[in-house]
Amino acid sequence: MSDTKIKQIAPEEAAVFTADHCLSCTSCMSSCPVMEATKEYRGPKLVGPAHSRMHFSQEDEEDSLDFCSNCKSCDRACPSGVAVSTLNMLQRGEYYKTHAHSQRDEMLAHGEKMGKLVHSLPLGATCANIGMRIGKALGIFGLFGLAVERDMPSYAASTFKSLYKNISQKKSDKKVVFFPGCFINDNEPSVGEAMVKVMQVNGYEVLLDDKFCCCGSPMVVTGYIDEAKEHADRNVERILYWKNQGVPVVAACTSCSLMLKKEYEELFNEAKMKQAAANVYDLFEFLDILADKGELNTNFQSVSAKLTYHVPCHLKAQGFGVPAASILRDVPGVTVELADAGCCGMSGNYGFKGDKYDISMKIGEKLFSRIKEQAADSVICDCGTCRLQIRHGTQAKACHPVEILAKAY
Amino acid sequence: MAKTDTIVIGSGLAGLTAAIVSAQKGQNVKLLTYGSGTLSLNSGVIDVLGYDQQHKYVASPRQGIQNLPDNHPYRKIGLQAIADSVSFFLKLTEEQGFPYGGDLDSQLPVPTAVGTLKPTCLAPESLNGSHLVDSHKIVIVTVKGLKDFYGNIIEDNLRKVAALKDKTYELIEFDSGLTGGRDITTLDVARYLDTDAGLAALVALLKPVAQNGVSFVLPQILGTKGDTCHKSLKAQLGSAQVVETTCLPPSVNGLRLQNLLKGAFKQLGGEIVEDCRVLRGIMEGAKCVGVVTQAAARKKSYYATKFILATGGFYSGGLAMREFEKPQETIFGFPVYFVPGEENWSNAELFSDKPQGFALTGIMTDENLRPVDGSGQVVADNVYIVGRNLGGYDFCFEHSGNGVALASAYKAGNM
Ligand code: SF4
Ligand code: SF4
Repeated sequence: MSDTKIKQIAPEEAAVFTADHCLSCTSCMSSCPVMEATKEYRGPKLVGPAHSRMHFSQEDEEDSLDFCSNCKSCDRACPSGVAVSTLNMLQRGEYYKTHAHSQRDEMLAHGEKMGKLVHSLPLGATCANIGMRIGKALGIFGLFGLAVERDMPSYAASTFKSLYKNISQKKSDKKVVFFPGCFINDNEPSVGEAMVKVMQVNGYEVLLDDKFCCCGSPMVVTGYIDEAKEHADRNVERILYWKNQGVPVVAACTSCSLMLKKEYEELFNEAKMKQAAANVYDLFEFLDILADKGELNTNFQSVSAKLTYHVPCHLKAQGFGVPAASILRDVPGVTVELADAGCCGMSGNYGFKGDKYDISMKIGEKLFSRIKEQAADSVICDCGTCRLQIRHGTQAKACHPVEILAKAY
Repeated sequence: MAKTDTIVIGSGLAGLTAAIVSAQKGQNVKLLTYGSGTLSLNSGVIDVLGYDQQHKYVASPRQGIQNLPDNHPYRKIGLQAIADSVSFFLKLTEEQGFPYGGDLDSQLPVPTAVGTLKPTCLAPESLNGSHLVDSHKIVIVTVKGLKDFYGNIIEDNLRKVAALKDKTYELIEFDSGLTGGRDITTLDVARYLDTDAGLAALVALLKPVAQNGVSFVLPQILGTKGDTCHKSLKAQLGSAQVVETTCLPPSVNGLRLQNLLKGAFKQLGGEIVEDCRVLRGIMEGAKCVGVVTQAAARKKSYYATKFILATGGFYSGGLAMREFEKPQETIFGFPVYFVPGEENWSNAELFSDKPQGFALTGIMTDENLRPVDGSGQVVADNVYIVGRNLGGYDFCFEHSGNGVALASAYKAGNM
């Protein structure tokens, strides 16, 4: 019998080296939604760890890599800590260092630029929305390689950043900086407004930082890895600045929060990214920590709402459970049922690609039918592009859970 | 600080079962898992005890268990709890609409992908190979493009079984139309057979051959949804029998069982926290009050009254050995039993009929499944050890892996 005291298991190494931990167990393959939807994709095990071991040492391409949506279901399935999807994204980045991007990817990767342009013109949002409808009607989307079946997300009349200026907040010593991300800022600012209301009721003042830029997620998935790195550097610098002031950064889009908290470090492997990550929270993670300390304001008014909760893949990948479900269940009149139907298929801009639309919709089928079965008043989901997919696939209403919570105060 | 009644760590067969048993008692249960659990690699049939310590076939697991050495986990669990766990499992699978058959007093022969028959205690009807004995003709159905399932090898090996020697054999191939693109897996074909079109295509192939006294042997492809596909297929094939083999991972039947167990746990209000690596326990003397986990960018602690450790063995990372003769339990640092002496550690032939010393490595417990040190002293009052974390048995040699997982989880859940 041995009663040796153990040393802690060695901390994880850089993601790029985790390929060597792969035991070829196939767990990731059983969980990959794209593999389920198409036989063209060779799957996470072969494309991620197996291929990347060779790829980083020699010139070699894996054609089916293009099918990976970076949903990260494989990472969650892996018992050995292999950063499978990040290995895929690094390989994609390598590929596009020597290959040209399509115009479509140029557009999908740079939603932030488009948003800025649109909102800088008088009546820009209205014109752009009309323009998109015309563009769609004329078949221009299809020519670009975009999914003609979808509407592009319409621009809000005012960005969150401009609406924010008109919100009068109670000053407080307790502050957070909000990282709105492109989607909330340009398309669904109501999420940001709800976030500010909830934070205010909980005694926090919400700051914005104009120097934040797009988290880079749309660039990583389309292979603009160097540009994503520039964004990472800029954002990390600001996060560390706020960290020095003792002000946490909070994001309400789970792809942004995952990028800032985990993917920067996995992709670029710099110590400052890890330091910055420690100062970033997903919104409901932050509220959950308040609740744990007994500091969450629970003077809830009754809200009558039967909700189906689609938990985004990028939230699950953060490993803090699903606190929005338990927080909302404490609101009188609210019921929350988990959809528990896997990936929605949208995966950021993946479902907007013309050649991936069918795969995206096939993956979403399970979720769509679950939503129809549960026939809730609204679907809640912390990810903006998942919400687009839910509306597209089911015509159900979909909002961010903080929008429900805001009604309870 | 939110506190749960029971926290289960690990989502293989042992973890999920322990979670369900605890939740059935009305407890508030959280299951923490890092990775999707081993059921996708697991046949999903419940071997209780196939071979004894001399590697002799055990006709009755109930009998065999009574002859095991004292430090075997089954001896700690006790025959009563083992029998109860079998009843519990049969009832649960029945209630969930995917019934298993079998009992503790006999074995079911389950065909493997190479055509041998392995003894198991509990299996769903689709894997019950005893039908082969009763038929006069065996039709082996291979699938176009599916590797690791070769009709002629299966036939050769089935013919080596005395009771199957004189049957008539026929090989046919099913073209699922899934070829083109990557290699297909049993899981791909099973998902196709979940659809009406897939099932119709298979029926069209088998029906002309399906006569009374015929048994079809197929790879594990009959759908991912419990026994739905097997049932509809049988209904359309008259009195012919349809039997699946075990196959290389991803294991379709393991995934069926995983769905069943996760579904049952969620119906009971249980919560699964994914991507949640447990780093260490928070101990107050011999009492565990919580565990610290690694989430993205920060740690998060979970608190409970009772803890069930189901993190598996070396393969799953529940046990590790960084230095020879210093095996570790990776979360709490519980004492780990092992066979000392390099010469006893393994025998050179991996698949021989001798047990492997290293396979006995694991945590020893008291009769309540709490971890003990070398002198038999309990080192944690409210932590229970289940499944492959346990020491003192070679599941591969004995064919007892899922049986130990089920019985220990059942007992721990009820403590
Ligand atoms: S990230 Fe998603 S699509 Fe890509 S390999 Fe992993 S599971 Fe499959
Ligand atoms: S789940 Fe992890 S260890 Fe298993 S095959 Fe995939 S990457 Fe390898």
